[in-house]
Amino acid sequence: MKRQLFIATSIAAALAGCAPIGTKLNENTGFHKVLDSAEGLDKRIIGTHGLAKEYRPQDISADFPLDSLPTPTSAYYTAIRKDGFHSYSLIVNGAVDRSHAFALAQLEKMATARDITRHDCVEGWSAIAQWDGVKLADVLAVVRPRADARYVVFHCMDSDQQGSLYYESLSLEQAMHPQALLALRMNGKPITPDHGAPVRLRVPTQLGYKSAKWVHRIEVVASMHALYSGNGGYWEDQGYEWYAGI
Amino acid sequence: MKGEGKTVYRHSVATRVTHWAFFIAFMALISSGLQIFNAAPYLDASDKSAPAKRVLSFDSPQDGVGTTTIFGRTFKTTGVFGWADDGMGGQGARAFPGWLTIPAYQSLADGRRWHFFFAWVMVICGVVYVVWGIGRPNISQLILRPSDVPKILPMQLYYLRLRKHPPEHGTYNPLQKLAYTLVIFVFAPLIVLSGLALSPGFDASLHPLTAAFGGRQFARLWHFVLMLALIGFFVTHIALVATQGVFNQVRSMLTGRYRLRSDDGTGV
Repeated sequence: MKRQLFIATSIAAALAGCAPIGTKLNENTGFHKVLDSAEGLDKRIIGTHGLAKEYRPQDISADFPLDSLPTPTSAYYTAIRKDGFHSYSLIVNGAVDRSHAFALAQLEKMATARDITRHDCVEGWSAIAQWDGVKLADVLAVVRPRADARYVVFHCMDSDQQGSLYYESLSLEQAMHPQALLALRMNGKPITPDHGAPVRLRVPTQLGYKSAKWVHRIEVVASMHALYSGNGGYWEDQGYEWYAGI
Repeated sequence: MKGEGKTVYRHSVATRVTHWAFFIAFMALISSGLQIFNAAPYLDASDKSAPAKRVLSFDSPQDGVGTTTIFGRTFKTTGVFGWADDGMGGQGARAFPGWLTIPAYQSLADGRRWHFFFAWVMVICGVVYVVWGIGRPNISQLILRPSDVPKILPMQLYYLRLRKHPPEHGTYNPLQKLAYTLVIFVFAPLIVLSGLALSPGFDASLHPLTAAFGGRQFARLWHFVLMLALIGFFVTHIALVATQGVFNQVRSMLTGRYRLRSDDGTGV
């Protein structure tokens, strides 16, 4: 009986030690690298090539959470917001044959895509909305990425308390996905400033942090190493996976 | 029972290795899963988030107060759920306390890394165990068969000491067979599938999976309920190991050798 009590106590101690041991291991760089290796496997096996489910108008969420960095208050954003975004233009440059600045009116003319899709936040919640916008592939067709182009980077106008600007990236292949949109309208109305006006990205096959709000410039690059901390996104630089399909 | 006291070779190397690897993965998956859950501490029985269909939620209505709401009924759970150990030596608004999560402090990014790594460990263990065990006695002797069903109740009565002898059975008794069959062939595959149903990339490739669980948020609810079911099995498993000759039981899962007890069956 004494032995049984000893073993039972050991098991209980092992269970209680789980969180502290895990926390210690979590801070070990080598161990973290091992954990991070799963991302490559998930990307290869799950991917992002499928088409996100489309919903009916009655499925649209009454309340779509504003779970992002705060709405920009910079001088530039305040100015374009004041004139109804007429002076806004979306710059697309980098490893392309022909850089181009798209005025909002030009994007509106190109806006042929519409879908009702679900937005899945990395935190766990989901919300459904209707989006109208320009297929990212159509914008890229205008600028023509060069042969060495591999990633499409989205530089945004929102920043955190330390002043770090938001950015995100997709592989060129993900950017050509038929549902990857530069959305201009949400639920039939121009996107409001809080939801990313005038242009936000929509990537319904990946988690919400890919769907960057307040997009200002799109840069086509061969590598992301030189950008910020080099992980391909604001949240990626803080430990989140670049592959956001899971 | 004839053969009582005899030592038999019960668990193969494959069974023993996958058992302990699975144990580590299970602990890591639960604590990292609770860490992930803490980022959105509520469960809705619907596809999109819908407060009207909320089944469970943890809240902190004010500093120093934690509540748990189940099917609309709210309980004060300060110190355990809702307002609890923040993993940094203090207390804060947290659904599950820091001593239950990996890492102890709030970090959704790290919780996800742990979860998705150990999910692979779990899946690989399961596949190795089942594929290796197909056609071998290891698995065939613990699968519940129709002939075992009438013996389930008598076995339960024996455990409750309402019956003197267990019903005649093989290496595993009918209740063990029921538990192992449910865990290995129902709960474990379902918890993996309900987890995959949460992935927007996977949903895009295979809509029927997420739909089968009632949508993404509902799949999150299923994933949580299945975790509770597996924890229920785990607690029972530990309790039985601890009371049914703990040394013999633990040794058999380390060296493979098991000493037969008076109520052990000998057939298949």
